[in-house]
Amino acid sequence: MNTADIARTLRLGFFYMLLNLKTIYRQPAALFFVVAFPIMFLVIFSSLLTFEIGIPPEAEGHVPVVKFSQYFVAGIVAVAIFGTSFNLLGTSLSIQQFDGTLKQLAATPLPKASFFMGLVGTALAYTILQLIIMIILGVVAYGVELPDAQGWLTLIWIILLGVPAGCVLGIAITKIIPSANAAPAVIQAPFIILQFISGVFFTLASLPTWLQWVAGVFPLRWLAQGLRSVFLPDAYKFAEPGMSWQLELAAIVLGVWIVAGLGLSILTFKWDRSG
Amino acid sequence: MPSVISINGVTKRYGSVTAVDAVDLEIEAGQVYALLGPNGAGKTTLIEILEGYRQRDAGDVSVLGYDPQRQRGELNRRVGIVLQRSTPMEGLTPREMLSFSARLYDHPMDTDEALELVGLAEHAYRRGSKLSGGQKRRLDLATSVIGNPDLIFLDEPTTGFDATARRQAWEVVRGLTERGATVILTTHYLDEAEHLAQRIGLIKDGRIIFEGDIAELRREMATDTRISWQPPIGLDLSDLLDEWKSVRAGPDGRLSLPTQTPTVDLARLIDWARSRGIDELPELQVERPDLEEMYLELVDDSQALDPAEPR
Repeated sequence: MNTADIARTLRLGFFYMLLNLKTIYRQPAALFFVVAFPIMFLVIFSSLLTFEIGIPPEAEGHVPVVKFSQYFVAGIVAVAIFGTSFNLLGTSLSIQQFDGTLKQLAATPLPKASFFMGLVGTALAYTILQLIIMIILGVVAYGVELPDAQGWLTLIWIILLGVPAGCVLGIAITKIIPSANAAPAVIQAPFIILQFISGVFFTLASLPTWLQWVAGVFPLRWLAQGLRSVFLPDAYKFAEPGMSWQLELAAIVLGVWIVAGLGLSILTFKWDRSG
Repeated sequence: MPSVISINGVTKRYGSVTAVDAVDLEIEAGQVYALLGPNGAGKTTLIEILEGYRQRDAGDVSVLGYDPQRQRGELNRRVGIVLQRSTPMEGLTPREMLSFSARLYDHPMDTDEALELVGLAEHAYRRGSKLSGGQKRRLDLATSVIGNPDLIFLDEPTTGFDATARRQAWEVVRGLTERGATVILTTHYLDEAEHLAQRIGLIKDGRIIFEGDIAELRREMATDTRISWQPPIGLDLSDLLDEWKSVRAGPDGRLSLPTQTPTVDLARLIDWARSRGIDELPELQVERPDLEEMYLELVDDSQALDPAEPR
């Protein structure tokens, strides 16, 4: 590959992303799930559960008291990141495998790398849109406190690693989807299970160890924990497994998903299941 | 003219079914070539091997000098493909689709020109979900030529269309071929092949059983004249059947004699009838089946024998 080829791949990836964004934007159902769903969650849970969460006993010195909405915003941001990448991408890709859209695309000179870049770019763009809406809503309506500079940095790298990692899972799960009609159901099942075992609604420590291990294999648990480090005071790390935010481990797990998973899922990706 | 497509002994099997059976084919540049045959004959399997979608089990394939199985990326830059099924792309307008497609090629056609060419200019800003089947098909055609390809594949471009929509689609395809590209189309309509193609390959049970232009196809399929009549019930036909071994009886008892010397045979039949006291042969017909009838017979025959073509 020379420079011109790389420039072409990047350029076409960008335009493929724009095409995708436009398509999703014009599908009311998809738009609803992407944008409205996490916001509804945030509104409902934060309105119902107004209590404050307990300060970890190991914390020393003065620890600010945190409302549940502050805790929950971390989890729901994680779900938003994972939902857009895994859920939305997996569903739309699967449908496109069955309806012949990807078969037609495979007949064009669109580089495969541009195709997958466009997909990840689409998920990134929608994730960022969602996060902006949710954070503004959280701050204005529920008094969520904005992270500090360090927190913003962590948020950015978690998005940049979390979205591609979720996309890998979204691409991979298309392999086990038997038909276009089955796509939403097959994808919702692991999505819901992962939400319950990844410390989104309940703390990780309240789960049995083996379930913690299962959750630890998948990106969502690490997204949620990393985001708690963004939205909660540092002292709350004592409530986490290993009494730490485990950010290095999160980066490694997400990185492995991206590098190993993306390569494997691209190589085995099926462009045409319309027959 | 040099060959755009050159294939040798190409074979594709699905389990025990041989969908394409040792096919050889040479297609010259600038031609419109029709692969004509009934459903299940192997047309789509063959064209998808040429397009790079399917892997052959045996044989050599060269399309524009490339092996589609191994050099699909290079090939895709120079071919346009219309698949059997239209792609939905419901949220996008023809203009948006074509502008995106144009970016993929090195020397694309102007988007408006492509819309004009297929007669979609007035629907350029209409959502894909609001286009009719015929309009979607025209968008498929526009997408396939936007990159100014040297070779265009059309897999059953008008299947499911009414007569008017087919005529319109044919006009569009003619417009495409006037630009100088080689076109390969599959069809199970004889008249489509006749209207569009300079050369026809008749495919049945995975084999090319005839190749030539439409005049040659007519000669090839031209058969004997048929003398037929409806014998009265109870008439003893045994000596007639002995004399003419090739007489066949239809389900309604109608007798039919294929012959290359209709005048001689008709005279003999009349003599035979007179000797039985029949002056007037009931419902006598002397006819020559046309190409369409011959083709339909072939189609029916093979539909009865062949399982559905894997798509």
